[in-house]
Amino acid sequence: MRNRLALVAATSLALALAACSSDVKDGGDDPASGAAAPEGPWSFTDGSGEVVELDDAPTRIIAHSAEAAALMSYGIKPVGIYGDESVATDPNLQGLDLTGIEILGEEWGVIDVKLASTLSPDLIVADWWPAEKAHSGMEEGVKAESKKIADLAPVVGATQGGSILNLAEGYEELARSLGADVENSQGAEDKAAFEKAREEFSEVVEGKDLTALAVSPATDLLYAANPEYAPELLDFEKWGLDVVEPDAPDAGFPYWENLSWENADKYQPDVLLLDSRTFDEALKTAKSQPTWNSIRAAKAGQVVEWPAFWLHTYGHYATALGKLTADLSDLDDTIGD
Amino acid sequence: MSARPTSPAPPTAVAVRQVRRRQRRRAVVVPLVLLALVVVLSVLTLCFGSVRLSVDQVLASLLGTRENGAVDFIVQEVSFPQVKAAIAVGLALGAAGTIFQQLLRNPLASPDFVGISSGASVAAVSALAIPAFSGASLPVMALIGAAVTAVLMYLLAWRDGVSGYRFILIGIGVSAFATGVIGYLLTRTSLNEARQALHWLTGSIGQAGEHETDLLLITLLAISPLVPTLQRALRNVELGDDTARVLGNRVELTRLGLLAVGVVLTAGATAVAGPIAFVALVAGPVADRLLGTARGGILAAAAMGAVLCLVSDYIAAEVLPVAMPTGVVTGAVGAPYLLWLIATTNRRGMGG
Amino acid sequence: MTAAPAAPVAPPRARPTTRLVAGLIALGLLLIALTFASVALGARDIGLRDVADAFVHFNSGATDDTVAVQVRVPRTLLGLLVGAALGLSGAILQGLTRNPLADPGIMGINAGATLGVVAAITLLGLSGIGLLIWFGFAGAVVATVLVYAVGSLGRDGATPVKMALAGACVTAGLLAISTGLLLGDIDAINQLRFWQVGSLAGRYAPIVEGIAPFLAVGILGGLLCGRPLNALALGEDAARGLGLSIGKARVGLLAVVAVLCGAACAACGPIVFVGLVVPHVARFICGPDYRWILPYTVVLGPLMLLGSDVLGRLLDGSGELQVGVVLGIIGAPFFILLVRFSKLTEL
Repeated sequence: MRNRLALVAATSLALALAACSSDVKDGGDDPASGAAAPEGPWSFTDGSGEVVELDDAPTRIIAHSAEAAALMSYGIKPVGIYGDESVATDPNLQGLDLTGIEILGEEWGVIDVKLASTLSPDLIVADWWPAEKAHSGMEEGVKAESKKIADLAPVVGATQGGSILNLAEGYEELARSLGADVENSQGAEDKAAFEKAREEFSEVVEGKDLTALAVSPATDLLYAANPEYAPELLDFEKWGLDVVEPDAPDAGFPYWENLSWENADKYQPDVLLLDSRTFDEALKTAKSQPTWNSIRAAKAGQVVEWPAFWLHTYGHYATALGKLTADLSDLDDTIGD
Repeated sequence: MSARPTSPAPPTAVAVRQVRRRQRRRAVVVPLVLLALVVVLSVLTLCFGSVRLSVDQVLASLLGTRENGAVDFIVQEVSFPQVKAAIAVGLALGAAGTIFQQLLRNPLASPDFVGISSGASVAAVSALAIPAFSGASLPVMALIGAAVTAVLMYLLAWRDGVSGYRFILIGIGVSAFATGVIGYLLTRTSLNEARQALHWLTGSIGQAGEHETDLLLITLLAISPLVPTLQRALRNVELGDDTARVLGNRVELTRLGLLAVGVVLTAGATAVAGPIAFVALVAGPVADRLLGTARGGILAAAAMGAVLCLVSDYIAAEVLPVAMPTGVVTGAVGAPYLLWLIATTNRRGMGG
Repeated sequence: MTAAPAAPVAPPRARPTTRLVAGLIALGLLLIALTFASVALGARDIGLRDVADAFVHFNSGATDDTVAVQVRVPRTLLGLLVGAALGLSGAILQGLTRNPLADPGIMGINAGATLGVVAAITLLGLSGIGLLIWFGFAGAVVATVLVYAVGSLGRDGATPVKMALAGACVTAGLLAISTGLLLGDIDAINQLRFWQVGSLAGRYAPIVEGIAPFLAVGILGGLLCGRPLNALALGEDAARGLGLSIGKARVGLLAVVAVLCGAACAACGPIVFVGLVVPHVARFICGPDYRWILPYTVVLGPLMLLGSDVLGRLLDGSGELQVGVVLGIIGAPFFILLVRFSKLTEL
């Protein structure tokens, strides 16, 4: 028995020693962001309505991944990033130069606050979720440790909901307050590209009489999206696309109306939108259902990608919108009801 | 799970006395060694985090002998609460598991399988998934869920006393009900909330704040003086109903008391860490292996639970390439170990 | 499948045979009625005459006809087979481990199927239920072999307690690995949450055709397990006295379970409730004789599964509730009442 205990102790010790670690650095207050921070007191109104005031403009920023991408498009480089998924697959971070940025979390709900504290941050940037009353990464259900990141520095962010533009505009404003040269940045080019994409989108959808329904096909049910809860669908609606509003959304979960595959033909739009993150897989699932073709748009192959839920920057939005416009431009608008 | 002391020695008075003495010594030494291991592991965990600290720095910060803002933040604000939660959850689940297994005389009857954790899970997932509940505190919901489920199960299982068999079957029904509700909630909610719920359901030490941990620690402290009494009660009930009645034990009341302790501990642990799989199931049988013939010790099972939680949480947070919820590791580490125990066990060694 | 014991194994408290036969026939008739109801009823309102018409003159352009013939028929067939498979395998597992908690969920089989599906999605990048079921099946079979291998190591072979514990361990270990693979991958979470709830919906004809032979063979094999289970119920020594080779019997029984549960779980997701409850209900009706319990589970299983499925289709307007949800929410209280108000036969 004693041998076994010794073994347990020895293995746990070995495990402890095997972990790779970094040592506490003292100081490390050199500013990391590329922009020249403005002198004097700084203040910014957070999505929650709270006004954050500091003696100097912050320079050492830790940001949630999508927010970081937005700031980086204005030349502001954070010292640390935490995301909801692996950096390699996070759509927000594709093509960005992340050298010199500490990755503090690659999974929803987990932020390495110990490591974050060694970065001596003076600002945390994360979206504000009005329904949850929390910033991204600090919602109910995350590790308690993650929430302590708010003890390291004040947290600010734009508000989710309503329109994707709230986010893009919010981070543009934040970048400006942090001293970014917004007018001469990648972000400014992106914004111009976005404005152009938006005009082209309106032109195309107003030239046609397209009705669109966003759906999520699962093996057992077909879920029809309620645009009220999808900010980008509200945006498309505002810019001229006729988005179908389901007439009986689930009472408990109003994001969707649940349709049995037997009732797949309840709505007959001209075009079906499928979540771009899972487009191929979802289309395959849908096509294997015998009643998928009872939707005339599906039978005619009028199914396009729906850039759902993750857009934060003018650049990403411009690309997504451009693709959507191209997809919509050669569709037949007489298929649906 | 009947406890039948099997001594190979000839039944002479001297030999019996010797065996008894050895048994008693083990019953004391094993929990003490395990508790010492808990302390050592705690300090090591504090030192070898993602930011490495020396033993000296850690002890100085914990004892308050030296001020160092950076180290104090890491140790006192971030790491120590985590270690404290791991120990509290481990102790509670270890004790609750062995109490349930012995009381219901079924090695599978740990709280994860007989419905109590599922009750807590339904409540917590509802809080996450149903918009009307949004903003409700998860730990509080979990606590309420576990308590309501336990009371309901006891009432439903009561008929001229509670038979262990009926209690288990009711537990199965309750678990199935919970599975249905959770499945429904997960398919109807948004994808982000489904992910959030899945995280909670996996169970992770450090999900709740210090307030909940402290509550659990206070509960553990309050129960600790009762351990010898509980242990004796458990032995008597374990002998079987008839024997227990002859011994003048008010069986039903004892059962209720033991059950209540198990439920309170499970509920508290689930509120702190979510339904962490496996700790409650495995701590008892593993401790029994160390205890030999003195099997069934509550303290040893509790300490074993704490060791398991500390090690699992360390691996989950620091060793794996991507930080994972603790529940992922308790299963992946605990399962092979228990499998090995089962495979190498002697006849009757595991209570079979 | 295993050497039959020399002497017939008399159950301790047999009930009158005529009553048991009559009960079985009555339940069988009920099941036939339910089968027709399952084709006639659904979330889509189609008149009875139109349903009948769809079978006589099938028009592939008419959605009503597609629904009746291509959606409801495969779904009903799958419900019958999976229900029978789950009920039967639950009874065999409970008899084999002599543990009322044993079911495909706790014995590692569903966890194996889940890991198979998760690994196929996350590691191989596969998708679509038609492909995933085969990985689920393989995972379930591997897990069962693992449970048996671990449970049978050691001096005294596969004792019931060791098997039950080994099952719980394998479940926990495999689920942990699945979750680890899953959590970082939101697409996989999305696919898995719909598979995991347990459903008969959307299983189109090719899936049913692929999995049905396994289920049919498994059900036939399972019905032959009455004698060895009766012998095992008497305890090892008595069973050996009756001439049963215990090791061989256990291997055979577990093989049947692996095929039944593996195929069922792969096709419909981990439906836990039927495997747990149906054997207890059957035991409540026929007493402890497995030669009666097994055929009863074959009828009771589909009654419960298909019945819940039909109910789920009607409950939610133009949508429907997955059968796993209906079983949990409606079936569980029913089961609890049964346990509460009946005298139980212990295993």
